[in-house]
Amino acid sequence: MTPQTAIDFAVRNATYVIFACVLLYFGLQAPAFLGPESLGNIIKQSSFVGIAAVGMTFVLLTGGIDLSVGSAMYLGPLLAGMAMQAFGLGVAEGLAIAVLAGVAMGVFNAVFIVWLRVIPFIVTLATLFLFRGMGVWLTSSQQFDFNEDMRSFGLGHSFGIPTPILFFAATALIGYVLMARTTFGRQVYALGNDREAAHKAGVNTPWVEARVYILCSACAALSGFVLIAQIGRLDTGFGEGREFDVIAAAVLGGASLFGGVGTAMGAVVGATLIQTVKLGLVFTGVNLYLQPMMQGLIIFIAVLMDGAREHRLQLDRKRTIRPN
Amino acid sequence: MTETETSPRRGLGARAADLFLSDYFVLYMSLAYVAVLAPFLPVLLTPGNVVNVMSNMWPLLIVAIGQTFVLAIGGIDLSQGSTIALTSVVGAMLIAVSANPANLDLAPIWGTILTENGGPLAGVPGNVAMGIAAMLVVAVLVGLINGAAIAIFQMPPFMVTLVTLITISAFTIWMTQSENVANLPEGFIALGKGDIVSVYFGAKDESKIARKVIYSAITYPMVIAVSVAIIAHVLLSRTVFGRYVMAIGINRKAAEISGVPVRRVIILVFVISAVCAALASILYSARLEAGRPSLGEGNFLLDVIGAAVIGGTSLFGGKAKIIWTFFGVLFFVLLSNTLNLMNLSSFQVDMVKGGVILAAALMDVLRTRLMRERTR
Amino acid sequence: MTDILTFDALSKSWFSVPAVEGLTLSVREGSVLGLIGQNGAGKSTLMNMIGGVVAPTSGQMLWRGSPYAPRGAADATRAGVAFIHQELNLFTNLTVAENLYIDGFPRRFGLIDHKAITARAQGILKRLDLDVSPGTIVGQLSPGERQLVEVAKALHNDASLIILDEPTTSLTPRETARLFEVMGKLRAEGRTLIYISHILGDVARLCDYIAVLRDGRLVDTGPVADFAVPRMIRSMIGRDLAGMYPPRSGKPSDAALLQVSRVSQPGVLEDVSLTVNRGEILGLFGLMGSGRSELARILFGLDPCASGSLQLDAATLRGGPRDRIAAGMAFVTENRREEGLMMDATIEANLSLVGIRSFGRGPLALVDSASLARRSEVSRHDLGIKAGNIAMQPVKALSGGNQQKVVIGKWLLKDPKLFILDEPTRGVDIGAKYEIYSLADQIAAAGNGILFISSELDELMGMADRIVVMSRGEVMGDIARPDFDSERILRMAFREVAA
Repeated sequence: MTPQTAIDFAVRNATYVIFACVLLYFGLQAPAFLGPESLGNIIKQSSFVGIAAVGMTFVLLTGGIDLSVGSAMYLGPLLAGMAMQAFGLGVAEGLAIAVLAGVAMGVFNAVFIVWLRVIPFIVTLATLFLFRGMGVWLTSSQQFDFNEDMRSFGLGHSFGIPTPILFFAATALIGYVLMARTTFGRQVYALGNDREAAHKAGVNTPWVEARVYILCSACAALSGFVLIAQIGRLDTGFGEGREFDVIAAAVLGGASLFGGVGTAMGAVVGATLIQTVKLGLVFTGVNLYLQPMMQGLIIFIAVLMDGAREHRLQLDRKRTIRPN
Repeated sequence: MTETETSPRRGLGARAADLFLSDYFVLYMSLAYVAVLAPFLPVLLTPGNVVNVMSNMWPLLIVAIGQTFVLAIGGIDLSQGSTIALTSVVGAMLIAVSANPANLDLAPIWGTILTENGGPLAGVPGNVAMGIAAMLVVAVLVGLINGAAIAIFQMPPFMVTLVTLITISAFTIWMTQSENVANLPEGFIALGKGDIVSVYFGAKDESKIARKVIYSAITYPMVIAVSVAIIAHVLLSRTVFGRYVMAIGINRKAAEISGVPVRRVIILVFVISAVCAALASILYSARLEAGRPSLGEGNFLLDVIGAAVIGGTSLFGGKAKIIWTFFGVLFFVLLSNTLNLMNLSSFQVDMVKGGVILAAALMDVLRTRLMRERTR
Repeated sequence: MTDILTFDALSKSWFSVPAVEGLTLSVREGSVLGLIGQNGAGKSTLMNMIGGVVAPTSGQMLWRGSPYAPRGAADATRAGVAFIHQELNLFTNLTVAENLYIDGFPRRFGLIDHKAITARAQGILKRLDLDVSPGTIVGQLSPGERQLVEVAKALHNDASLIILDEPTTSLTPRETARLFEVMGKLRAEGRTLIYISHILGDVARLCDYIAVLRDGRLVDTGPVADFAVPRMIRSMIGRDLAGMYPPRSGKPSDAALLQVSRVSQPGVLEDVSLTVNRGEILGLFGLMGSGRSELARILFGLDPCASGSLQLDAATLRGGPRDRIAAGMAFVTENRREEGLMMDATIEANLSLVGIRSFGRGPLALVDSASLARRSEVSRHDLGIKAGNIAMQPVKALSGGNQQKVVIGKWLLKDPKLFILDEPTRGVDIGAKYEIYSLADQIAAAGNGILFISSELDELMGMADRIVVMSRGEVMGDIARPDFDSERILRMAFREVAA
């Protein structure tokens, strides 16, 4: 490998290179960090941001953004919990209601973005306030407690796998299949690459774009439900500011804010990488307060690499006139 | 070629459209809002409440002005809130007159910068001015980092300022281990509360006047915020720099080809944004009588952007006026205040805020369409 | 042979300016029609009507004898029309196979049947002799391969009429030969082709019959056997030039102003040298993809150049646009909307953008709006900009010609020594063209130099003192006014002959 191609490789796979370095570093510092228990813990704790990041990747693929995920994480489980309490429903029904509530929130976003043509940033900024406000209105600012079933579900195992990991894996798999294996997924990529051309090629762009926001909110509601199932109660501030964590995880996983680039696996890796750094710093005894700084640094590097990648693409795209 | 001649017989619709398109629309809306609510909420127009609305308005206005410059070039600055916290802590730890080891002895700044006898500037003549200068220097540095990454490395402003947001707040919280730095000198605290002119509405022959019936009419925060607003207005609408800012926001490529120093202007805009955050930080810290690492957290920044958008500033750049931001902030603060007076919780206030931002965005879509029809 | 597509007195006007007028022509099934004409002759408008992008103002189109009025790209595709443009409509982040199927994938168990699309794509690629795996991401292909993927898309949609619009401009000779081979195959399969190109030699070689458009009208048509290249060129030009251009009021001096020597940039320019003298209008002629605009960008410091030297008034040019402006250069770009103007800003803001610094007063650089308004008013008067209140009216509300005057006007505020005008009359009506020519003449008469870049030969022959011809990034020749000969210049541009 020449130095040129080595740099090219590093730029293209920046996240994986960083991930490998991080694992290597912490492994050397504290070998127990690479043990199965610690690794399992990392994945379990990544599931919250990770599930939402898979949904966010769909939105970023179209070149949009969804700032309302933090509030969807709160309102989705809340509505589910209230329904469970009111109608004496089980956890499975609650889960379905949470996801449906997410779908409804996504539809709301999509109506403004797709139909009324307001830019996604503003719409989802407004719904960030709206969804949370609605939740707190319903609870009168009180903390909401779930019954015991909820925790036994959240902390339980199926097939020997902790529930959160199971949901994380399922979301990632479904996300992957949707993105890579369905007409819808490929049209999302086409839309993000060239909206005009997608329209010309006969892609139903409004419908594709609407579904992207619906998926994102549904994933956010699901991620909130899965985490709340482990805690058993829901505070009014739950999920606040999480939109940035979710976007950061997706971008770290290779999704571009300019659209057209990103994968479900990337979102998983991005979320896991952030969690690895967090836990690694705990493991090596670094001051807790300094951890977000490391997180910031890593995102910075990833974005810088993304810029470099974009720059290279643009150079490639420049017309050459002379035969080479 | 169209000339919109004002003919004497213009319809009501056209006049309503004029009102809608006017710079003062949000002000009219605010006034109408107050007029509608005042009969039901008598407390709204009491001097005490007016003072309250204004004291909430000034620091937010300063931050929003900084953000307006960034929005004008089509960027966004998410790091303003964390800059407020950082500068607040930096200023406080330098000028605090004493400190309590009970809650601060775990902080890295304890013993090195801050001791029981306060910060290094405690008791030094001119300490308040020096502390403020230090806060501004820190802000300039933050702005330079943001601006350089965006202008030179062409990274998206959203991600760059998100990273500075995360990093700066972590750093601030680490420095203080989440503890407030209190015991600030009187001279500094006066900046947040000090009245320059006060008003007393009671009877004149009263021998002792209780403090709570004296209302501050003109305060330091007001003077500072209004000065910042005037300077910013002049800068944005009357100087060559302001022309460059708008040119970059409307069409960066054309600006570059026309010889606008694009990189320099972008960097400067982010410095302005950070400096405005530091100025607001002075007001917040002085009012709370402490350097707080938790300032500007949570949805604060979304408030700022919401206020700017309600005023009419476009997120696409090239469409921004300080006066719009002024009215946007006024309306936003009024809204929070009235909803609080109606005994709604802060979260219900958020819900209404969300609705208002959406409505403002829809109005903007409508306004753009109207404008297009007029210039056709 | 039957007619696949017939134009029947087809017309399209833009704001009562005709772009295509009374066009009656039949496209015969299974043959190759060569469509030629100068820029602005109406070719793209005609293509847009076939593609359903614009609707005709009058007249109609017939598809296999029945009325054809597509209301969008999808209608045209359904009818069996495929377009292959120079600007490709491919998704660079998807694979070759996915690009073919983006509007609807075959499914198995609800998921995309990758096996089926790969096999089908493989089959099509094989017919085109394109040795690329269907799973390759399009972004990794060369321009030539991408062009063939577009052809594959046409085959996938089973298009019976394929329209190729300047498809070879970004291809290497090898790739071009490959495309021509494929075109032969398509024709052998009984498909109909319309081939649009400025490269007349190719047109003569590939097509069965020729149609020449000029000013929106069909001026000449016939089988290719009767159509040698000289006849094509004559039909394309054939216009009386008198009265279109103002008389030149000054004489160029011999003093060199801009000296470009041996400028090269890999993949773009090769050993380009030229000189613009004081008071001279130097015409730079070249077809699309000849490197004329790329040269302009390098001259203005927007793009890098690997070697060679640039001098203005014997001083070497360095740095970016700001340094070039300081040195006395001005650049009216070919892309008025994206690079020339702030469309949403007022006329005054646009006029003052370049020279705004000189209106700054005091340490804050406060804009002296009174003198700025006066100066803008003078500009408006001098340039004859037809507008209402220039401090209120956005520049996007102006006509193309008046917009272009604003672009020129903003540079005049700086009194530059050298103007680079890149396609200054594109999208401008005849009357405003004359005014822009007059402006160019005045600028030159005042002792300044102009590099006038155009793909319309007529206007260069009308205005320039000398014409430099470029092709494929090289200078093909340098012709002085007494020797102007449109046929010779076009031949140079088409590389039919060396200088």
